[in-house]
Amino acid sequence: MNRAETLQHLAWLCRNGRALTAAVVEASGWTELDAVLPGGGWQAGTIVELMPAVTGIGELRLVLPALARITGAGRHVTLIAPPYIPFAPALAQQGVRLDRVLVIQAQQAEDILWAAEQSLRCRSFGAVLAWPATIRDREIRRLQLAAEAGGSTGFLYRSLDAARESSPAALRLKLRRTENSALQIDVLKCRGGRSGMSVKVEAPCSGCA
Amino acid sequence: MLWLCIALPQLPLEALRSEETSQPLVVTACEGSARWIVCVNPAAERARLKQDMNYTMALALCPDVQKLERNPAAETAALARLAAWAYQFSSTVILGEVPLDFRQARSSALWLEIGGSLKLFGGFRDFIAALERELALLHYSYQLGIGPTLEGAALLARAGIRVVIPSPTALQLRIRNLPIAHLALAPEIVGALHTAGVRTIGLLLELPRAAVIQRFGVQLGNFLDRLIGTAADPRPVFRLPHHYAARFDFELEVKSTEALLFPLRRMLHEFSGFLRARDTGVQHFTLTFAHRAAAGTKLDIGLSLADRDANRFLALVRERLERLELPAPTIGLGLSADQFAMPAALQADLAQGVLQQSEALAHTIDRIAARLGTQQVHGLRQVADHRPEASWAAAAPQQDARDTVQFPERPLWLLQEPKPLQLSVMPQIVVGPERIEGGWWDTGDLQRDYYIVHLSTGADLWVYRDRGGRGGWYLHGFWS
Repeated sequence: MNRAETLQHLAWLCRNGRALTAAVVEASGWTELDAVLPGGGWQAGTIVELMPAVTGIGELRLVLPALARITGAGRHVTLIAPPYIPFAPALAQQGVRLDRVLVIQAQQAEDILWAAEQSLRCRSFGAVLAWPATIRDREIRRLQLAAEAGGSTGFLYRSLDAARESSPAALRLKLRRTENSALQIDVLKCRGGRSGMSVKVEAPCSGCA
Repeated sequence: MLWLCIALPQLPLEALRSEETSQPLVVTACEGSARWIVCVNPAAERARLKQDMNYTMALALCPDVQKLERNPAAETAALARLAAWAYQFSSTVILGEVPLDFRQARSSALWLEIGGSLKLFGGFRDFIAALERELALLHYSYQLGIGPTLEGAALLARAGIRVVIPSPTALQLRIRNLPIAHLALAPEIVGALHTAGVRTIGLLLELPRAAVIQRFGVQLGNFLDRLIGTAADPRPVFRLPHHYAARFDFELEVKSTEALLFPLRRMLHEFSGFLRARDTGVQHFTLTFAHRAAAGTKLDIGLSLADRDANRFLALVRERLERLELPAPTIGLGLSADQFAMPAALQADLAQGVLQQSEALAHTIDRIAARLGTQQVHGLRQVADHRPEASWAAAAPQQDARDTVQFPERPLWLLQEPKPLQLSVMPQIVVGPERIEGGWWDTGDLQRDYYIVHLSTGADLWVYRDRGGRGGWYLHGFWS
């Protein structure tokens, strides 16, 4: 962590007090990944950035075990401005309860952010997935505050270019496919954990299992 | 009987607009060829303009004064909305008549019988506090008076006496030294009384009633009897309507939607008061924007859960308004509702936590749908159809549809339209083919062989080869 991030982390600690140690964590469902994530999974009240190299490498599948458990427990999940149709039969096959899924279509960047913020603030949502076309630091910070207020996890799907910029998100993961079809996850940043690690999860793509 | 009078001295002005302005503004009325001031706003008052002043004189004092024409119909509508609102505090509400004579226009009032309500609200102090808290949201200038008779309470309100006067005897003592100007009598009678040297209410009440009637007319005699309670004062009691229909007519055209929020806020708070009075809520209400030259614009506001919170109503309306193009400036607003439902939060306190969560969710969905459009927020469900594009459908949010439909494994992303693929090199096939046929009985006839293919970039795609029709390869999904 650089100085600015340390300060930011301290500010976060001040705001949340002991919440950090008692953070609610939803296991990602991937043993290798949980081993490197602080608390052993996706932390509630944080923003996670996922930066896949290309579409179709299991970037959505990565969060599905968590979504299945969240919806199974009766909480809601929302997908904001997804680039394609979230295919209901596939979600159901992965164990997601469809009546707990909400899709929000939005075109304008500001509408996407606004909808994400509203959803994150609402305690009924366990996870909010968003595909913003563009997003700035200041806006991610707003989403971070909203996630803390609502206690849900916000997953932001961003392009690989974003990996070169810094971001206030708590966790930043770069995703790519290895030769032997595993999904390689590079941890660019991990608040409360170690960054710079890489893990491989096996067969994230269900079709090629 | 104990009456609370809400006197509305600024009603001629406030019935026409609900927001403060720093511009001097007066309401005027014509009598013969002369124009008179009925009511002034604080800015006009600072410019030394007063009621009953000739408008020509006012223009000389303050050339940039703006004038509105008095509109008794708008005052009546405002008073009716207020009566429906007031019903939440008392089941006996009496609606005063709006005086047609503009010189008495500042004496509009309504009354609530509060003897029965005090216990319900936990005593006098709490009752008044609750009433004033709600009343403040409506942005009316008001005075309160509490007395044993209707006219007595109104007199106490206009005189600014904020003491509960429970009995006629106490009332007579308390009002003895008040000037007769507080009685809101016709100006001729006030003039005649002054000429006769009768300046206080005490003096007027001491005069033999027969002499008063002979000299000033039977109306004044009746009025005095009703004031001190020696004669009954029967008036029609306001009945709460079954359907809600409120109007707010402006004298000036309102061009910006931002400026519409002021009258809307008042109307929604009044509406919320009506819903509390009926002890119910709504899931649907309609706003109408009236225009001078064009047909009115209707705006339907729907909620996922029955509600009666004015602030939530306002937030939803605001979102919709920001996206609404009104064809012309607005000269009036209407609010109507005819179906009512108990707000979910009040139905039961069983499983309070769960209910609060679903309520919060419904409010969030409503807010988002209000801004982005109802079609833009939806749930998902499966459909028992082998054609991929027909095997899913958008559903109402939270619609319970746990169909058990069995398909072979499907990709998480589906393309809206299959995209033709130019394949120079056949990619590596991981799984396939899965033959999907069907739909010849309706429009979507198809014959396809689906494959999962793996690209050198690492991506897994769901592609098919069209066996009928045009042939060729198509991309239909991603194994994301």
